[in-house]
Order: sequence, then C-alpha cells, then structure tokens
Amino acid sequence: MQITPDHIAIRDTMEKFIAREVTPFVDDWEAAEIFPAHELFRKMGDLGLLGLTKPVEYGGMGLDYSYGVVMTEALGRIPCGGVPMAVGVQTDMATPALARFGSDALRREFLAPAIAGEMVACIGVSEPGAGSDVAAIKTHARIDGDDLVINGAKLWITNSLQADWMCCLVNIGDGPAHRNKSLVIVPMKSKGVEVARKVRKIGMNSSDTGQIHFDDVRVPRRHVIGEEGQGFTYQMIQFQEERLWAAASALGPMEAAIEQTADYARQRQIFGKPLLDNQVVHFTLAELQAEVEAVRALLYRATQLYIDGEEVTLLASMVKLKAGRLQRVVADKCLQFWGGMGFAWESPISRFFRDGRLMSIGGGADEVMLSIISKKMGILPRPAAN
Amino acid sequence: MDFQDSASEAEVRADARAWLAANLPDAEARRSMGYGVADEAAALALAKTWQARKADAGWACMHWPAQYGGRGASPIERLIFEEEERRAGAPTGFFEIGLGMAGPTLQAYASEEQKASLLPRMLRGQDVWCQLFSEPAAGSDLAALRMRAVRDGDDWVLTGQKTWTSGAHYADYGIIVARSDPSLPKHRGLTFFFVDMRSPGITTRQIRQITGPADFDDVFFDEVRVADSQRLGAVGAGWQVALTTLMNERLSLGDVARPGYEELVARLRMSEIGGRPALEQADIAARVTDWHVRSRGVAFTRARIITALSRGQEPGPEASILKLASTAMFQEIADFATGLEDQGGVLLAEDRQAGVADFQFAYLFSPSFRVAGGTDQILRNIIAERVLGLPPEPRVDKDVPFNS
Repeated sequence: MQITPDHIAIRDTMEKFIAREVTPFVDDWEAAEIFPAHELFRKMGDLGLLGLTKPVEYGGMGLDYSYGVVMTEALGRIPCGGVPMAVGVQTDMATPALARFGSDALRREFLAPAIAGEMVACIGVSEPGAGSDVAAIKTHARIDGDDLVINGAKLWITNSLQADWMCCLVNIGDGPAHRNKSLVIVPMKSKGVEVARKVRKIGMNSSDTGQIHFDDVRVPRRHVIGEEGQGFTYQMIQFQEERLWAAASALGPMEAAIEQTADYARQRQIFGKPLLDNQVVHFTLAELQAEVEAVRALLYRATQLYIDGEEVTLLASMVKLKAGRLQRVVADKCLQFWGGMGFAWESPISRFFRDGRLMSIGGGADEVMLSIISKKMGILPRPAAN
Repeated sequence: MDFQDSASEAEVRADARAWLAANLPDAEARRSMGYGVADEAAALALAKTWQARKADAGWACMHWPAQYGGRGASPIERLIFEEEERRAGAPTGFFEIGLGMAGPTLQAYASEEQKASLLPRMLRGQDVWCQLFSEPAAGSDLAALRMRAVRDGDDWVLTGQKTWTSGAHYADYGIIVARSDPSLPKHRGLTFFFVDMRSPGITTRQIRQITGPADFDDVFFDEVRVADSQRLGAVGAGWQVALTTLMNERLSLGDVARPGYEELVARLRMSEIGGRPALEQADIAARVTDWHVRSRGVAFTRARIITALSRGQEPGPEASILKLASTAMFQEIADFATGLEDQGGVLLAEDRQAGVADFQFAYLFSPSFRVAGGTDQILRNIIAERVLGLPPEPRVDKDVPFNS
C-alpha cells in the first residue's frame, strides 16, 4: 500500500475538519453521551468524506480501500473513541454490503443519502443471545406478499438512537443457519421499531448505543440487499471492512497516547530528573511504538491484498485481534506513567483507557478472531456431532 | 509460617464472627452506606452510625490503647477482626485513612491532651480524617512537595496545593506535610502538622475519576493559619513523621482486592460459552490455573506478614511484593472477566443486575491500585534495593538545597 499525495491530501482535509468541527465539542458530546450525528455527517458528506471508497454513481469518490484506511487513521486525531466509531459504522460497517450487492433502487434510496450525510445508518447484527456468534441470531422475517414482517431484537447498536435506517441481519425461513439469512434495510421510523433503551457503557460515551425491538415491522421485500439467503455471506464480507476499519481506527489513538505520555513524562520531574529519562519509561514507550508499527504493517498488507481483490478474512481477523490487544496494553502502560493524573476522568489517557476496552469485544471478540484464524489455518476441531 | 490461628486467636475470630453476624446491617443497607455511592452524605451518616456501634462493642481499632477507645489488642487480633469484617462485607471506606494512617501518626507525635481529645472521636467515626500528602508535582517523589509553611508568631501559615486527597471534601481534619525550609535538601526541610479542614483559606475541588464518581479532591491552601501546637514532630522532621504514616499504611494490610480469583471462579462455574461449561474449555482452565497458582503465592506472602505480626515482629519488604503481585493479578482478572461477557462486558452497572457489574468496575478501578500507595515502579525499586541488594537508583537531587 503506497501513500500518495492524494492520500496525504485526504488526511489533511480530515485533520483540518476534525480540528474545526469535532475536537472543540468532544467534551460536551462525551458528557451528553450522544453527538449530533446528522449535523456532523452532513458536514462530512459535503466534503466527500463519507464515501471515499463508495461508487461514484451514488455520490462516492470510487477510491480504493487504502484511502479509507488513511482517513480512518486520521480519525484517530479525534480525542475520543465514540465519534470515530460512529463514523466507521456509517462508512465501513453498515454500508459496504449495500454498496456492493444492493439493487440500484435500494442504493439510490439509502446509500446515496448516507454518503451525502443526509441519513445516518446503523448495523444490526448482535442480539441479546447472539453477539460474537452471528449464526445464532433469532430475529426473523416472515414473507407476506411483497413485504417482510420482522420480529426480534437487536442489541448494542451504535448510532441507533439517531439512525434513519438499519442494515439488519434477519432469518427468512427455517433453512440452515448459514443459508437462511438476509441483510435488509429497515427504516428506523417504520411502525413497530422501538428503541427500547439507551445503553450506558464504560467508555465510547459520545456514541449512542441502543437496544432495538422489532414488533411486526413491515418493510418492502425489495429492501433485501442482493439475494435473499445470502445475508450471512454478505455479512462475512462486510466484516472484512469492519475489521480492517477497527484496526486502522486504533492506530491514531495509540500513537496519540504514546506521544502525549512522552510529552507528559518529559515535563514531569521525579527524583530530580524528567520521568521520561528513566530507562523503564522511554524503553516502554519505544517498544509500544514498535508494536504499533507492526500492526500498521499488517494492516497495510491486508489492505493491499483486499484492494487486489483477494479475500482477506484471515488477515483482517489477525490485525483486528492484534490491534485490540495492543490498544489495551498501550492504554494501561501509558496510564501508569501519568500516575494519579491518569486516574482522573478528565485526563485524555483515562478516556483512552475506557474507550479502548471495546476493540477486543465489538465487531467479533478476540476469541472469535482466534477461532476464525484457527479455522483458516485448518486447526480448529470440528464441532462434535450431537 | 503458621497458617492456623492459635487458640486465643481462634477465640477472637469466633467472637468477631458472632458479633458481626448479630450486628451487621443487611446487604441492601450496607450498599447504601458504602464508599462511592451516589448519596455520599447519607452514606457517611450511616457509616458513622455503624462505626459508633463497633466502638461501643470494643471492636473499632481494638489494637489502640484503652484510653483512646481501643482495648490494647495485638496486631494479629486486629487483623483477624478486619479479615472477618471484610469477609462479612462490612463497609469501612470512610474511616480507613483516619484510623489506619492519621491515628497512628497522632499516637506517635501528638501531645497527650490532643490524643485524649481527638483519638476517641476519630475511633468512633465522629471525625473523619484525610491525608494531605500528594501534590501536583509530588506523587511518587513525595519529598519534592512544595506546600509552603512559614512561621508567624505562634502560628504557621500554609500556602499551596495538595491533590488526590481522598475524602477531603467531607473530612473534619487532615494530616499534612509541608516545606518549612526550602534552603535545605528536599527531605530535610519538611514539617508535619494536623489541620482543621474547616480553617479559613482551605478550599476543596472534587476530582472525577476514571470510574465516574469523585471520591478524591484537589485541596487549595491560601494562607491557612495553623497553630504551632498542631505541629507533629520537630521542625524539619516532617519526612520522618511522614514515614511513620506510610509505614502504618503498609500495616493496615487490607484483604485481597475483590472481585478476584475466587469471584472469577464462581462466575465461571455459572457460565457457558458456546453451549459448554466455561471451565471445561482448556484455554480458560489454563488461565484460571495460572491465577490459582499466583493467588496461592499472594496468600502465602500475606501469611508470612501475618506470622511476623503474630510473633510481634515488624514485617519486611514482602508487603511490596504482595502489592505488586496482587494488583497485577487483580487487573488481569478484571480484564479477562469483562471479555467473558462478550459485548455485555462494556456495560455500566445500572444496565445490569445488581452485583454483576463488579468486574467492569474493577477493570476501570484497577489502574489506581497500581498507582496509589506506591506505584509499581516504586515497589520494584524497593524490591531491587532492599530484597535483591541491587545498586540504588541515582538520586541527583537528594543532597542539594531544594531551592537550588
């Protein structure tokens, strides 16, 4: 993956936008436990930042995924994890399958406004009984003439308190778990969609998370993305971008944490010299920086293969695993050098510590990544026949 | 090492257990008087009532001399009661700093008159004490503190800032170390006092911590007058007095931080992953086994300290080893347990059934254990220098005037 002047131009645009439109408001949004998604996405849409890798016909810029990675790294300049995650849901979690497999009409109706920032999207996969285990979802759609009638519940849904539509994974019929699923666009204003509650979390506080119930929700059957019954496969494909995005989103905050910790440790005097001058401190930060670069190298390799058209589930799962684990280590080791200050709510490192726990859980937990890697390596035992 | 209670120790334990069983409020009531609950004033009032009841029955600070409200019990008997108290889930948070650190410091350095008037009130929970040590530029390097103490007639005038002071916003008194002579090397120009927290010129500002609540404070001193009679120890001997305080912090040993290994195993016994009991999964079993081994190491190290106390000896540096090993394990277990719950692992307490969010809270709280009361790094220095006999860290500022 080559970084060209075009990549740098996008990074600069993103960073300027963040400095002007995001950073000054982050503390307020964190306190409110929500941010104004429509307002912010509209501004990003105007700059083309929500559709870098999306088809030109629907308002995107038609660039390859390396541009998405560069933009996501730049999102790491935002001094919180919640807002970047909300953007990631819009660009890399709720829309890739629609962009790739949706009908022209469906894309005009839902993808184009998402790229323009006129609509906010969310992705509905997890359920009360099925988080990492996607095949176990229970939400069901009954075919009724030209409509689908959906019943069930979705949990931990980012953006869902503000979203206009959900890319929702449902079961249609009772076939085998991997062949009865479909991705359906569900407008959130449909009758029977209920935001049961707002969920409070240990971190990612500027991002709204909801539990959504579907009670006889009627949507046109043409809202199914691509072919009915292919939802599981589409979601697995969509997960590649989600996981590459997740790894890319961790790089900026990790580097910011290391940089801020070095700055703090340089100013902090202890036993007559800067804290940073203790070998245990600067060696620790040096090693963390080396590990961040290693994750970046893996991410860039996976991205290049993805651009070349290869299936990168293995590498995407590996890089998500390592990014999630490393983010926790960086947060904890850096926090330690801030001493009591690191434990104060207001310090940037404490927010990073709180926000950072999710990476190893959301979008498939570490253990799911390990299972996928094992499976791809051919070392995962087959489940015992019942 | 001796793992069994002696006959007299067993008797104390049985008495303590029986008294706690008969007198401890129920779990619901205990929660509302706990440390860090939303209605802090109400919690403090309830905790004071409980402390007074303990004092009436002779259990509060039973190792203190009788004239201050104790019953002259041995350190080991005190530890036995505290173990039973924690096992029963009795809240102690509001008074730990006063009774564990301020009280022993006063006993060592205050006048007889001061001890007679202050210690019984402290013991009964009538006065809450805080400890004003850390400053914005002096944490691990405590002797770098800058709070100024200037002599003025029969008073001292204190100006400066303390921080991370637990409970300063509700404390009645505080113990404080300040710099009385900046022309001396940093350890030698310090003097120790106790102060009335309602003195003019003291303001507190609560600091919200990583877990959400604000248990501790910034404390600002703006020309606060403190009578020379409130000086503890000689002028310039503040460092030695502070060491007395910190030594007692290590002696108030506390229990294994919870939720820990035992709670994790209890949780795992109830958990299934992918339709199979969690403990039957080899990767989980391997990690649990590792923590089992380490938790035994922690328990035995603790037993060595208790044995030393029981024999009337001063414990050695094993307290540093204990803290370093147990806090790292506490953090690892909390991290692991939040991951066990899949995406539920990042939910906050109010979105969960009562008691189930303990590990989430522990995960957020865990960094504080590695910072407070001697950071991991300071403890490693202690172990390196005092246990392994390695050369000390160079301390270039040790023998030069503080203001040089």
